[in-house]
Order: sequence, then structure tokens, then C-alpha cells
Amino acid sequence: MMAVPGLGKPLKKRKQEELEDVEKRAFAEVVDLEMQSEEEEEDEERGSDILSDDGEVDDFPEIDAASDSDEESEEEEDDTDDLDEEDTLEEDSDADSDLHIFPKSKVVVSDITGQKKTVYPEIEPDYDSDSSTEEDPSRTGNIPMHWYDDLPHIGYDINGKRVLRPAKGDELDKFLATVDDPTSWTTAFDKNTQMDKPLSAEELDIIRRLQAGENPDAEYDPYEPTIEWFTGKGKEEVMPISSAPEPKRRWLPSKWEKQKIMKIVRAIRQGRIVGSKPTAADKKHQFYAIWNEPPSNQPPPLPAPKPKLPTNSESYNPPEEYLPTEEERKQWENTEPEDRERDYLPQKYSALRLVPAFDKFIKQRFNRQLDLYLAPRIQRIKLNVDPNSLLPKLPSPGSLRPFPNYKSLKFTHTKARVRCLSISPDGAWVASGDESGVISLWEVNVGREVKRWTLGSKVGAIEWCPRLDVCFFVAGTEEKLHFLMPPNLSPAVLTMTQSTLAPATLPPATQSSIKWISSSGAVEEGPILVIELPGASGLPRQLTWHRKGDYLASVSSSETQGGVWMHQISRRHSQAPFTKIKGAVQMVLFHPTKPHFFVATQRYVRLYNLAEQKLLKTLMPGIQWISSMDIHPSGDHVIVGGYDRKLCWFDLELSEKPYKVLRYHTRAIRSLHFHPTYPLFASSSDDGSIQIFHARVYSDLMTDPLIVPLKILRGHDVKDGLGVLQVKWVNKQPWLVSAGADGNALVWCS
Amino acid sequence: MASTSSSTVRSHPVVFTTQTPYVLPSQKFMIPLDWKRYQLSQLINKALDLSKPVPFDFLVRGEILRTTLLEWRAAKGVGEEDTLEIEYFESVIPPQRMSDIPHEDWMSSVSYRIPQHFVTASYDGHLRLFDYSQNPVIDTSVHQAPITSVCVVPSSSSDTESRILASSSHDLTACLTRIYLSPEGPSASTVASLHLHTSPLSCVSSDASGSHLLTSSWDGLIGKKRRKTAPVNIKRKVPIAVLKSHTAPVSKALFATGLHAKGKAYSCGFDSTVRTWDVESGVCVNTVNVPERPMLDLAQTPDGNVLLAASTDRTVSIFDLRVSNSSLSSSTGFMMHPATPSCIATSESGKQQVVTGAYDGVARLWDLRSTKGAVTSFRVWDGMKVLAVDWAGDVVSIGGEGGVEVWRIAGGS
Repeated sequence: MMAVPGLGKPLKKRKQEELEDVEKRAFAEVVDLEMQSEEEEEDEERGSDILSDDGEVDDFPEIDAASDSDEESEEEEDDTDDLDEEDTLEEDSDADSDLHIFPKSKVVVSDITGQKKTVYPEIEPDYDSDSSTEEDPSRTGNIPMHWYDDLPHIGYDINGKRVLRPAKGDELDKFLATVDDPTSWTTAFDKNTQMDKPLSAEELDIIRRLQAGENPDAEYDPYEPTIEWFTGKGKEEVMPISSAPEPKRRWLPSKWEKQKIMKIVRAIRQGRIVGSKPTAADKKHQFYAIWNEPPSNQPPPLPAPKPKLPTNSESYNPPEEYLPTEEERKQWENTEPEDRERDYLPQKYSALRLVPAFDKFIKQRFNRQLDLYLAPRIQRIKLNVDPNSLLPKLPSPGSLRPFPNYKSLKFTHTKARVRCLSISPDGAWVASGDESGVISLWEVNVGREVKRWTLGSKVGAIEWCPRLDVCFFVAGTEEKLHFLMPPNLSPAVLTMTQSTLAPATLPPATQSSIKWISSSGAVEEGPILVIELPGASGLPRQLTWHRKGDYLASVSSSETQGGVWMHQISRRHSQAPFTKIKGAVQMVLFHPTKPHFFVATQRYVRLYNLAEQKLLKTLMPGIQWISSMDIHPSGDHVIVGGYDRKLCWFDLELSEKPYKVLRYHTRAIRSLHFHPTYPLFASSSDDGSIQIFHARVYSDLMTDPLIVPLKILRGHDVKDGLGVLQVKWVNKQPWLVSAGADGNALVWCS
Repeated sequence: MASTSSSTVRSHPVVFTTQTPYVLPSQKFMIPLDWKRYQLSQLINKALDLSKPVPFDFLVRGEILRTTLLEWRAAKGVGEEDTLEIEYFESVIPPQRMSDIPHEDWMSSVSYRIPQHFVTASYDGHLRLFDYSQNPVIDTSVHQAPITSVCVVPSSSSDTESRILASSSHDLTACLTRIYLSPEGPSASTVASLHLHTSPLSCVSSDASGSHLLTSSWDGLIGKKRRKTAPVNIKRKVPIAVLKSHTAPVSKALFATGLHAKGKAYSCGFDSTVRTWDVESGVCVNTVNVPERPMLDLAQTPDGNVLLAASTDRTVSIFDLRVSNSSLSSSTGFMMHPATPSCIATSESGKQQVVTGAYDGVARLWDLRSTKGAVTSFRVWDGMKVLAVDWAGDVVSIGGEGGVEVWRIAGGS
């Protein structure tokens, strides 16, 4: 009943009704009727009651629940009032020993009417007749009693006299009291009088009732007989409560209910709603063929495997060629039953009557049952991935020729390890420097030393000038850069070189701590030009030329000013480009096409724009200690090698993180070099090996560079933990020259 | 199978041919399949009834027989019925070291074109002349820089006492040196220096008549010079033509020999090409591009049929000029070496044999008919490079890191 208006009524109607409700409620309040939230239901109830002329109220639990809760709350309020009354009454009858809390009524016979009547004792109508009659000696009021804790009194009486604190025994007295006085356990401490007072029988009864979870009121009777106030004979309400005409809905059946019901009826007629069948039918088990009825929601199970048909060799009298030879029989007997190609041996009997009983009958039936039982219902797709197919498709090294693959010749420095080498731009000469200060100039092809310079101290770096109209190379020793010319130059080149390095008219000297000293005579023997770096700058670790051959950058091993100096040959001027730089500079490089400058510190590679003098990019290779770096001739790719064996390939167009990290060496990487023309690069390591990679860079920006490891060249010995210290490619040829700690410089040819 | 049942040795039909004077009658032989070279050689010796045994080597289908016939047949898949044609020739007796002439410096070139004398060119810039008994006859300092090659310029005159030597050097010049081998005292004098190049020269060579020289250099130029007779004082000479087509250093240039070779020259270089030149006009007639094979040396057989080029990828390429007389297009064969071959020498007498020297210090004798492997190899030095070989008569002179050695190769056809 309650659900019906909630479901079907449109909003408008409901609003209207709510308005009505409000009106009615207001009216109800005015006439002081019982407040009920569901006025309308009450009405309808009553209507239905009327309709069903003798309905029971208890038949409508929904409505009862709502109204009950209201009633209960009201009752509770009443209860509390009663309790208050009780309290006061209890205190009245304090002295009484009986358990009656209310004033005791007496039934007497009235003098006037002669009928029995209950007479209550007179109540003194004084000021607080309904409150406690016991005099509280202290009149301090409702204040915290601990204010009087330190005082001898506990308050003041009505006359303003001190009420002295009653004498309080010590713990022993308390204990003795509990022993002596049998009623001491029924006493409680009274804060107002500051002493223990015995509890009355009524108070004890309340405590007991509370303990038992009962109603604390002794007089409360949960089973009082009901008093019919409004119902029953002679109590019918004749006059309507409201003078408003009765609404139609009181007697018209609900249109919306009808629609709702008809909808259900239609659904039942059309069979969309089917009542649940009687459950008794399900209790009987039915047998059905599990193979016949495929469940619709999954792929049909595979048909049961068919037994194999017998072949010729299973015949009782097979042709001779099917009979096993003695070897085959022995082999069959020796193999495991699982590994046997077939589980029988052909046997020949001349007549069917000679065929013995089939000895494997039970076994075969059992296997067939197993087959049926364990036949896989699901076609299991085994993930059979060939591990090789997961590897990236790399072209075979053979198709990427040429690359160096054998040691063509060996040049030996007898005294010390070869620290550095450089190859002339025409690819014909190699200058190699060792740690005893000897620089040898030798042919790439023959390996014949043509000239030797002895500089006295360890050679840290050698770099050939990339210009083709002059021919010289620079070698760095302790705090000095030596410019050396090879012999047998053509006159044009010779004069050009001399005028470049030792011009007749020197440009004006600039203020610098770096001295340029040209030696005019004895050019054949010694260096034509010496740059003296500042003191304590240490050994130049690296030299690198700008591609135009005018600027030379040197990296010294000392930490002052980063150890980086830029030398300009034409102006004979040196400067330190960085006033301060974070970390020790490992290598520097000029960008091949742009005015950019790479600086590799211990962990990062920074790219500076020299023209605008600002930092462009910081590459983070994730290497603990960078050892070497080289830039691709296109200028868009950088490789960085570290002492922690990692080689990182950076695409400058992409990210500051490496595009690829290769870790193929087993020891620290010492040197890297890109081939100027071929798509090759080489890395050398302290494990004594050189690795050759094919590195094809596409001009198409969408295609990633192709890096293919090609060849590991082994030929250097590891000496004192040092392997191949430097590798350099020969210009125009796919040849590699490597300098090793074993004192050998090797030429690797394709 | 044949070894297990010796009674039924299978045999194979064979016909023997030869170009040597030891000719067998042309008939079909049934040769047992387990025979090797030794048995075949004995067969021929016995059949010809030679008084002094001559060892022979056998060529089966262009390949020297080194195994039994059966193994060879199995490897080649030749049917049992096919008649094999086996060519035989006198086998090369293992070369013997005759003498060695130690040098202080490396030898870059050696020549044995003056009778009874060796000419050596050294990296210390000296030309030296030795006689047979290893006595230095002439030691003259021609260049201040290393000499890269030397050649003896043939002279048409019958003057046996004076010879012209042409040498090329790192000092960008080539020099002509006249030597006198007069009994009273040999002497040498520089005749002319040839100037053209701006890079070190790699080789100098002369034509058969000795009237023209070719110099090749690292700057990619080839100069052609006329040798004037009897100049009195040292003259600077300029080339009469510059052959300019190579894009990388030229390693060798030489005049063509043979019948159809009039006015032709060949050159090779680091740009992996072998070029044919018309010397008169100075035009490159033909270019053979062998990809990624920088050439180190070039040689031609005396009959002018085969051109050989050593390259840094450890091969010696064979260019057969007979295939197409006018223009070669690609190499027709390879000789694979275990180390970089640096020099090639062809024999004057034998047409099919070649000596190559390599950086592993081994000189190898090859037969052009069988390029699978060397006929014989002889270790000259251990771990020292061979830089030059020359072969005249039965003497092979080998120069390199350890000086000069002279070996005798006997036999061969």
C-alpha cells in the first residue's frame, strides 16, 4: 500500500499532496491531535478500514512501524517525566522502610457517597514540597566541591555559618568499619556532606534493577491493560475532524495503480513474466548426454579422439615385410614404452584359430577410457616462441663490408706504452707518441718509421691538423704543446706550414699566461712552435682541432679553470673559455658544422654555443665516469664511453638520455672514434679488445640509427691493467690504427 | 671401400696431357683411385723410362692434385665414367735458400735485372749493388729520404758496363743514377732528378726499350718521362705527360708487355681501381673497379696475358687480359693470403707461376692454374715483412724488413 503512491504518482500530484499534508499537520497541531508523519496513509488506512469495515490495525506493519516510533518517543518523554516524579517521591518516603516510592494511598469509604475512594496523604504546599525534604546543611550551591578540599569546612549553612567537615577516619578506620558495620557495603560517599551515607532500600532496589537490566521503576507494569479512549461502543466520532470535502481519491480506485497492474498483467499474458515453477520438479535428477548438448557460451568441445584403425602390420597374418627383424625387436624391447614408435610388435600366425587371447585387452580398454576421460576439452595454444625471433633483425656483418677484420701490421715502441696516435688527413702517416716522450712518424701501409722526435717527457695527446694546405701535428707533453712537421713536404706545403706556424711578422702579443714560442732555425729537428701552458697545468690529456684547423682546444689534467684552453693559430692567442666549470673536464669536442662545443665532465656532457656563449643542452649518459666521446660527422649523434664499460649513443635531436646503451666491453672503455666517411665506429677498452660497430645514420629523421656490432679485434696485450689506449680511423679507408699499452701500434685492415 | 677390399681396386679412366718434353702417348689409362701424386709421377717416370727421375705435379681440371683421386672425385662429384684429362708438369722442388745479405735498414725494393748483380733500394736512401758473392759493389746515397722502388732501365746499347737505375723516393723525386761496372772500379753518379709530384712517390718503372719511365705517387698522379741519353750534368726534368685519373694514392704503374700492349700502361691505387692507360695520349682507357680493395702492387706476366694486383684485403686479384683483349671488367680469380700481400713477381720463364711476398714474412709460389692454395711457401723471416720480390731465371730475391735473401726455385715449367 505504501509503495503504490511512491511508485506511480507523478511529481505534480505528490507536491499537491505534500501541501495538503502541511495543511493537515498545521490543523492537527491546532486541535492537539496525535502527530503523525504519514497523515495521508492514516487517512487511507482509515478509508480502507472503512472499506473493509472490520480491518485490524496490526495488518499494516509498514504504517505501524512509522507511527510506533513516534509514539515510542513520546512515551519515552513521558517516562522521563515519571522518573523525575518518582525521584521526588522517593525522597519523600525516605524514612519508610517499605519499597513503595509513591505516597501511600488509603482506600476509605466516603462519608458522603458511601463509596470507596482512595485518599492520598496531604501534600504540604510549601516552597519545595515536591523536592527533597532533607535539609542539605551546605548552601554553597552547585560548585565544584574540591574548592573546599584544603579548608576545614565544606560550605556554609543557611545562616552563613561554616559547616565543618565531618571527621574522616584513616584507612584503618575504614577497614574496621567495613568489618564491624554490616551495612557499610551499602553506603556511598555523599559529596555534599563529604561523608558516607547508607543507601536506602529503594536506592538499592534501583541499583539491583539496573544491574538486571530491568526498568528501574518498581511500579512500572509492562502489561497494563489497554484503555480504549476513542474506539468502541459509544466513542465513535460523529463529527468530521475537517470540514473539507472528502477527496476523490478516498473512494476512486487509483488510475496509476491500475496502469501499473495492467502492465504486469499484459506481461504475464504475453509470457514475458513467467512465474517460478514448482520446486518439487527439480528434485528429481535427470540424466543427459554431455557430448550432445554443447553449452552455448563457450566453443564446442573437441570431439572425443577416435581410436586408430588397425593397419596391415596389426593383422594376425601380416605380410613378411611388416615383421620385425631381430634387431628391430631388440631395439623395440629396449626402448621405453613412451618412446616406442608403436606399442605392439607385428606377429604372424598362420591361422586365425592360432591367435592367442589379446594380452593387452585390459590395458587397451583402460587407455581408451583414460583417453575419453582426459581428452582435452580446450585446445591449448602453446606459446611456442622462438627466442631468436625476439632478437632485433640486424643485417649480417658480412653484408656491411668493408670493416677492419685483421691485423695488417704492427709498429712497436720499444720503450713504453703507446699513449696516443693521430693519422694525417691524407691517411698516409701515423704519428704515435709513447710515455717515454718518443713520437714516431710512420707509414700506415708499410709500418716503417720515417722520423722520430724525442720530447723528453710523457706524450699525452697527438692531433694532426685537419687542414690540407698545411701539414703538421701537435703533441702535448707536460705543460707544453709542440707543433711538429713531418719531413719531405712539397715546397708549397712547407712554406705554407712555416708561414702559418712561424710567420715572419708576429701578430701583437696578447696578455696571457700562455707563451707562444716559434723556433726559426733547426725546424727539421725540433718543433717549429711551442705553446707553454701555465705552470702546474699538468699533462694535456686531449687535443682537438676545429674542422677549419685554426682553433685548437686542449684539455689538461689539472683542475684549474677546468684545464680547457682554446688556442687560435692565426692570432697566436690562447684563452680559457670557462672561468669555472663544475667537475673535472674529461674531453672537449668541436661540433663538425655548428659553432657548438661539447664538454664532457665526469658525469655529464654539456653542449655550449660558442657564438652566443650559452649552455644549450646537458646530456646525461648515466655513466659514473666518462672516459671518451666522439661526434658523428653529421653532427647529430654523439657517442660517450665510460670507465664503467658503458657506451651511450645520443641522438642530439631526441633526448638528453641515451638513445642506446651498449655494454659489450668487459673493462673500461678508453677511446672511441667515428669513421669520417664510412658508417663505422670503433671502441677500445682495457680488456685489450677493439670493437667495430656499423653505425648508419639516416638523413630521414623518422628512421632510427642502425647500430650493428661487427667485429671484435683482439691483438693487444693487457699490460698493467691497461689495454688499448686509443683508436683512430684512417681517412678514406676502412682501416683502423690502435695504440696499446703493450707498446704496439697496430694497423687493422679490411 | 677400395681400401677394405684391395683385390677390387676401382679405377678411373684418365688421359694425360703435358706441355713438357716428357710426353706420354695419348691413350686412356685406368688409374686406381687410391693413387696420389707420387704414384702418378712414378707411373710417368716408368712409362717414359727416364734415366733420372723427374717429379711431376698433376693438374686435374685446373687444380693441382693434392689428395687421392678418390677423394678428389668425391669432393668434386665427378661421375665414375667421365674420362679425366690430367695435365702434368715438372713439379717445383722446394726452394732453397742460397744466400742472405743482412741490411741495417729495411729494403723497399730489390732487382735482379743486371746479370750477376742485385740492386737493392733501402729506406735509408741508399742504392746498393751486390754481386753474387754478396760483396757490396756500389753503395751510393741517392736520396735523403727513403727510397720506395728501384728499377733497372734496360738499355738498347750493348754497353754492359754502364747501367741506368731509376729510383723513386719519399723526397718527392725520382732519380736516374748511372752506374759503371768497370773492372778498375765501379762508380755511380746521379744523372737526373725527375720532379712532378707533391707527395712521396710509390714506384718507378720503365718500358721494355728503356726510353720512357712511369712514376706513380701518393698524390694520385702518374708521370711519364722520357729518358734522354747521355746527359752530362744533373738535370731537373719534367714529365712529358701526366696521367691523372686516380682519386687516391697510386701504388704502382707499369708499362704493358706482350703482343697487344703497344703504348699501354697499367696502374693501380688505393681507390681500388686498376686503370689502363693509353700512354701516347695520356688518357685512361679502361677502369676496373674492384670495390673496397685498395691495391698495393701490380704485376703482369711476361706474355702480357694476366695482370695481378695485390690488395689490402689479403687477396691477389687475377685479371685475365685474354678474356677481353681491349677491356677488362672484373677480376677472374683470387689468391687468398693469410696476411697482407705486399709484392708480386712473375717469372720470366714460366708463364703460370707467380711469387708473392706478404707481411707475415712468407713468400709464396703460386700456380695461376690453381689458385686455391699456394704451390709452396717459404718462410723468409719470422714476423718481419716482405716488401719486395724479384724473380729472374731460377733466382728469387726477396727484400724486406730483414734485408735481402736469395732463394733458388728450380723446376717448374
